[in-house]
Amino acid sequence: MAETTTRELLLRPIFHRNPIALLVLGICSALAVTGKMDTAFVMSVCVTVVVACSSFVISLVRHHIPSSVRIGIQIMVIATMVILVDQILKAFLFDLSKQLSIYVGLIITNCIVMGRAEGFAMNNPPKASFIDGLGNGLGYGFILMTVAFIRELFGSGSLFGVEILKLTSNGGWYVRNGLFLLPASAFFLIALLIWFMRTVDPDQQEKN
Amino acid sequence: MKLLEKLFDRAAPHFQPGGRLHRWFPLFEATDSFLLGSGERAATAPHVRDAMDLKRIMISVIVALLPCVIMAIWNTGYQANSTLAAMGLPCPGGWRGHLLAAVGCDPNSLVSNLYHGALYFVPIYLVSVLAGGLWECIFNLVRGHEMSEAFLVTSLLFALILPPTIPLWQVALGISFGVIFAKEVFGGVGMNFMNPALAARAFIFFAYPGQMSGDQIWTAVDGVSSATALSTLASGAPGHALANLNISWWQAFIGTIPGSMGETSTLACLIGAAALLVVGIASWRVMLGMLLGGIGCSLLFYMIGSDVNPMFSVPPHWHLVLGGFAFGLVFMATDPVTAPHTFTGRWIYGALIGALAILIRVANPGFPEGVMLAILLGNVFAPLLDYFVEQANIKRRMLRHG
Amino acid sequence: MAKESFFKPFYSVLVLAFVCSFLVSLASVGLRPLQENNRALERKKNILLAAGLLHGDTKDKDIDTLFAQVEPRIIDLATGAFVSPKVIDPKTFDQSASTNDPQLSQPLPKDKDIAGVRRLEKYSLVYLVKDKGKLKEIVLPVRGKGLWSTMYGYVALDSDLRTIDGIAFYEHGETPGLGGEIENPAWEAGWQGKKIYDDEGKVAIKVAKGASKAKGKAASYEVDGLSGATLTGNGVQRLFHFWFDDQGFKPFLERLRGEEGKNG
Repeated sequence: MAETTTRELLLRPIFHRNPIALLVLGICSALAVTGKMDTAFVMSVCVTVVVACSSFVISLVRHHIPSSVRIGIQIMVIATMVILVDQILKAFLFDLSKQLSIYVGLIITNCIVMGRAEGFAMNNPPKASFIDGLGNGLGYGFILMTVAFIRELFGSGSLFGVEILKLTSNGGWYVRNGLFLLPASAFFLIALLIWFMRTVDPDQQEKN
Repeated sequence: MKLLEKLFDRAAPHFQPGGRLHRWFPLFEATDSFLLGSGERAATAPHVRDAMDLKRIMISVIVALLPCVIMAIWNTGYQANSTLAAMGLPCPGGWRGHLLAAVGCDPNSLVSNLYHGALYFVPIYLVSVLAGGLWECIFNLVRGHEMSEAFLVTSLLFALILPPTIPLWQVALGISFGVIFAKEVFGGVGMNFMNPALAARAFIFFAYPGQMSGDQIWTAVDGVSSATALSTLASGAPGHALANLNISWWQAFIGTIPGSMGETSTLACLIGAAALLVVGIASWRVMLGMLLGGIGCSLLFYMIGSDVNPMFSVPPHWHLVLGGFAFGLVFMATDPVTAPHTFTGRWIYGALIGALAILIRVANPGFPEGVMLAILLGNVFAPLLDYFVEQANIKRRMLRHG
Repeated sequence: MAKESFFKPFYSVLVLAFVCSFLVSLASVGLRPLQENNRALERKKNILLAAGLLHGDTKDKDIDTLFAQVEPRIIDLATGAFVSPKVIDPKTFDQSASTNDPQLSQPLPKDKDIAGVRRLEKYSLVYLVKDKGKLKEIVLPVRGKGLWSTMYGYVALDSDLRTIDGIAFYEHGETPGLGGEIENPAWEAGWQGKKIYDDEGKVAIKVAKGASKAKGKAASYEVDGLSGATLTGNGVQRLFHFWFDDQGFKPFLERLRGEEGKNG
């Protein structure tokens, strides 16, 4: 790993090495929770906390992890973090945790978390790992929020639950676009984002 | 004509590489070749002597679509006029009413039917061509591709699979989605793996299901909601789905029933099919495959029967004349770009689409019609089918020749 | 990397597993009261919502005071009689768990199971809303299959035991924007004042296909359908026909009507 500054560690995963747009990881939850901005926001925060903390912990104990069982130990740490986050959500943000249903629990299987643990935290000091996790969480959140912005605006006519375009079903003028309510629309939106990001930054294009 | 030719010849250098208006070459070429014919020649051997080129394929498809277009226009007007007559209403108000005042709304008058129908079909078609053409232009200008006639076919197909009552802004939105997402992002004409017209229709279907699901439609009279034949069947009594359908098989075959404009007439589709087969553009293997797949699957359901699902009891010959089955079979599944290229692949592809279409119609309670989704799914499988057929061929030859 | 001995993997896994499980159980035990409180609050909110007692500006802390006028009781569905709180305590009775208990529920034959509930419980919770000791409303839990999923909701009946005061669906997996609109308060408000039973006491409530066109008396039994969601609407209608007929709450409602009559 080349020398990288803290700033780079934090900001690079947001645009230039975005875990969703470049590595196409963590797509499952990106489809499922982006129907509304508040769920997308809470999910982003959860993932950011989990990636950052689990990377930090794994990096702390990295010298004591035997390589034969390292994946198991990483999963154990990640799972613990996820359960903690899930329990806290259920206790303090019940409404949102109900809407997110199983997707918080499924952060365990989110490849971004595992990828950062195995790919970065195992070989880097705790502080750098924490920052790297934070950056990747923010990168994930950036995509989620962008997708959720479009989906909620055109699908439900609102942002964070606040009505922006008055729907015909509530006596307004805006005919809701049902496609954006369906998770599949997130595929199109992520594809568009990837297109956009790779046009702005051609380094991201794969060479044939 | 001479004058026009001179004009184009004089303007041509500006559009050549290095010329001032080089970026606009695709537009120039399109206008030039549309008005005056293509001046392009094959520069090197081999010179294939065949009159067929992309332009001619597309024009032929449009000619084959003409019976459907005429039927679409007439039937849209006929449905509207006869509904008005049945309800004892006068001609509708608004701009259509003004234009209709001259001929009146008589369901027995050919002119009135055609005229009334055209007032619905033409705006939809124009929006479809303009919006589709606009995106095509933008992408071709940016990429420096030549314009192709393919988008004329796409926009005509799209207009034909829409209901007459669809708002025009939805038409524009749909065709934009179809052209951009199903065609241009993959590289334009010939590179698409999905039929753009169907992708556009699917977009509208999922985006505005309230208007598109087919349980309250589609006669072009304000305030009248009736169900399509398929959703009437789906809400019938189990075992006797046909009982509450008030149309005869011949009506469905000829197409004097409400529905998406170009899809109702199986007869018009058959005429189109004959034209396409004679010219040799459409693959008879796909058509026959889809026909057999559809008959097989519906026969299977018909024989199994069901106590809860009325769609099981719809006999195969009804399935073939309802909804978009015939239209999809003739014009959509046979699209040479999105269908497989191997012969065996085409058989499997056709059968797959036919069976899936009936499966979605009968077994899925959410969607009354399945042809559109079945063909899109078939499009996705087409390259895979080709791959397997090729691999099987390679293997067989390896065995034969060591 | 340090040299690995044979025992090191076991040793480090053990230590980490211990730390992790300790943390997890700490959180789970420590936060449980809060979580259970949330769940109870949620249930109370939905009941109050159906009863029309919940307003947009109601704070969470006011829910309990509002809920004080609601008395949860348990009834025997088959006979319609109240079950004494001493036999089963309504506060701890878990109705959804009881549908999986062979002692407390039984499978329904297919031809009777019009709402698709599969197993019908023996006992059900009902919520009596009282105003100065007099019955004002009664809230009943219902569920049934829609197009894709089982829909769960509460129905509030007026004290005449046939007019709907309000409904609230709180859990379902119907298509967002179409069938999912059963959650929309605007649509749910359309149920207010509709009558479940006709004059002969038959279940007559209907969900129209699209907007209701019924006029006069028929209009009081018909609710607007959701556009583009005919099948979800059918599911809601079947749910009503199941829960308000003999297998559901009808015996209870008739019994209650008799008692009310006696009491004057």
